Amino acid sequence: MKRPAAIHRWWLPVLALCVGAAMSAQAHVASNSFLTMRIESASVEGSVELAVRDAEIAVGLDSNHDGQVSWGEVRAAQAALLVYLRQHLQLAGADGGCALRFGELQINARVDGNYLWQAFTAQCPSPLEQLSIDYRLLDAEDPSHRGLLTLIARGSTQSAVLGGAKQNQRFDLGHPSPWNAFAEYFEVGVWHIWSGIDHLLFLLSLLLPAVLVRRTQRWQAVPRAAPAIINILKVVTAFTLAHSITLSLAAFDIIRLPSRLTESVIAASIIVGALNNVFPLVTEARWRIAFAFGLLHGFGFAAVLSDMGLPRGARLISLVAFNLGVEAGQLAVVLAIMPVVYALRASRLYQRALMPWGSTAIASLALVWFVQRAIG
Amino acid sequence: MRELRHAVAEWLLAMTMGGALCAPLIAKPYIPADDAQILAQLPAGARHADVTARRMAVDRLDVTVLLAQFYIEQARASGDLRYLGYAEAVLAPWVAKPTPVPAALVLQATVQQSRHEFAAALATLDRSLVARPNDAQAWLTRATVLRVLGRYREANSACAQFALRADAFLSMICQQSIEGLAGHLASAYGTLAAAPTEGLLNPERAWRESELGEMAVRLGRDAEAESCFKRAIVLNARDFYVRAAYADLLLRQLRYREVLALLDGQQSIEPLLLRLAIAQKQLNDPNFAHSRELLQAAFAAEAQRGEAVHRREEARFLLEVEDRPRDALAVAIANWAVQREPDDALVLVAAAYAAGDPKAADPALEFARAQGLRDVRLDGAAAARS
Repeated sequence: MKRPAAIHRWWLPVLALCVGAAMSAQAHVASNSFLTMRIESASVEGSVELAVRDAEIAVGLDSNHDGQVSWGEVRAAQAALLVYLRQHLQLAGADGGCALRFGELQINARVDGNYLWQAFTAQCPSPLEQLSIDYRLLDAEDPSHRGLLTLIARGSTQSAVLGGAKQNQRFDLGHPSPWNAFAEYFEVGVWHIWSGIDHLLFLLSLLLPAVLVRRTQRWQAVPRAAPAIINILKVVTAFTLAHSITLSLAAFDIIRLPSRLTESVIAASIIVGALNNVFPLVTEARWRIAFAFGLLHGFGFAAVLSDMGLPRGARLISLVAFNLGVEAGQLAVVLAIMPVVYALRASRLYQRALMPWGSTAIASLALVWFVQRAIG
Repeated sequence: MRELRHAVAEWLLAMTMGGALCAPLIAKPYIPADDAQILAQLPAGARHADVTARRMAVDRLDVTVLLAQFYIEQARASGDLRYLGYAEAVLAPWVAKPTPVPAALVLQATVQQSRHEFAAALATLDRSLVARPNDAQAWLTRATVLRVLGRYREANSACAQFALRADAFLSMICQQSIEGLAGHLASAYGTLAAAPTEGLLNPERAWRESELGEMAVRLGRDAEAESCFKRAIVLNARDFYVRAAYADLLLRQLRYREVLALLDGQQSIEPLLLRLAIAQKQLNDPNFAHSRELLQAAFAAEAQRGEAVHRREEARFLLEVEDRPRDALAVAIANWAVQREPDDALVLVAAAYAAGDPKAADPALEFARAQGLRDVRLDGAAAARS
């Protein structure tokens, strides 16, 4: 939660009430920290929660010695806290230590009191098949302190207790069997096409006219399904073929493009595709646009993969799985939208409104992206 | 009239918005808006400066002993388990020395006993007693641990060893309290009650009263027990064992409001919070939900740590608060494998009957028969079965 904006006066007592509820009557549990780590290939997204009382023991927060810790005192001690965390919490994969980057420090109110909640990202040298965690928080100050860990990797969750006699523990994240890798990367592919709306909009802008033909400067409905289906197949196949080529080239590090360039050109491709529906230049062979720009979209997909990394020993299969995932996601959208578009094709609504104005809307949105990506 | 309507509407809106605002505030991490917001109160001895100071005293045994005693006392009085960790930290270098340091070892054993690590506590005491057989405190701690484990014969001989080296009156409490568990309840109660108490210090009186109170409970003399508990609390207000025993007596007599009064402000001590929650549940008290949530979180963390400090309480929590008798029975069985006080027997028997598995109560009932452990509460539970 971010800072609440303006707080009206009548909220104040209620707010005070619930802060009070979170502060009062705290059952004494042993000293525990709570850690969550989510493994994504070579990186670990996580958080560590340390009780304010334990952080006081570890680094000293109460700078004015009034026996209580304020948020201001915590903020002032954040640098010391991060140094302490770096010294007492280390992650490593098989190929060496992972670099920790800390996010914003926040507060979490647990039933037994307030905890400092520190998000972190750890970048490891290679995709993780095992993770070593060296946990020494409070080891000198309170030997009964433990870290309660929730570790999420490859869709399964394990929990463990860190610290005490077992300062260094190694967790097997499950060997990425070809099937595991396939399933994981397929899912990422599907997810990416659904969340990466720019690829879909590009495809859509090329498919909207697939149920129409251009005759004497006007759109007309195709008489039968066959030409529409052929149009769709041509566009989808060309797009798929093109982005598969560049995705593979990029994934195996044969060609690399700066991501700012590819992202901007992807936005531009949407503008071109959509404007072509409003001011038609290419009416018969839209698959050529699909192919040409598809090459660039492939570099966009590759950026996702390079963030994740490909698991050793299963590089090819993961790449294929990711690509198939993208195709499956794309196909699902095409199958959902195109029958509707086909049914509407002869209506004035579609020909005069949805097609031109929908395309214009897509083009405007893409223009905004283009400006953001090219300048931002 | 319009103003009233307006006020009611505003109030309703405030409650709704407040609810919506509270939920994320308690559940999710947030960035406080105000630097002055207080996040925690620091109790005595729990500041960074204290830790730094105690590092400087690391090679002074006398300071170490004082610090460890202070932390153990704080843990006893507040129920705060962190203090046991601090005590362990100051003792660690002394415990690790190849030649035993009895003064440190006895305190270490006390820490282990407080954590219900009974086998480890006995091993530590053995090490200490080999080095210094004349250590009265070590014998008394040994008797206490063996008593909790239900090993009354050994506990009795530890008391005898204690008696050789300590004050006669304390030795008598030690011995009679174990006699009272092992087949001689009425006579032990009579002996302890009749013993003259002139010249006793308050802690000694408090100990006597609490032992007498527990015996009276097992004898079924609740009125006498109540006056013993009351006197013990006056003598030592910070003893939460007595308070818990008194609360149990009140709960048995359905005097829930008095439980709330007795335990007001003691929520930080888990065993007391449990009794409070049981009473709050019966009274439909608005604070019940919060107490329950606190207990759930505490037991969940303990379970993940794989520790058994509060298993007896957890079994009672599942049985009397959560109405999950089968789960309660599983915890009560695990608890009985570790510790065998009358209360442990009682929760096992109660959970077994509630879960419809009376055979599961047999280990406790057989133990009571074999040892001569008499407790009207156990008789009551057993009678309820037949």
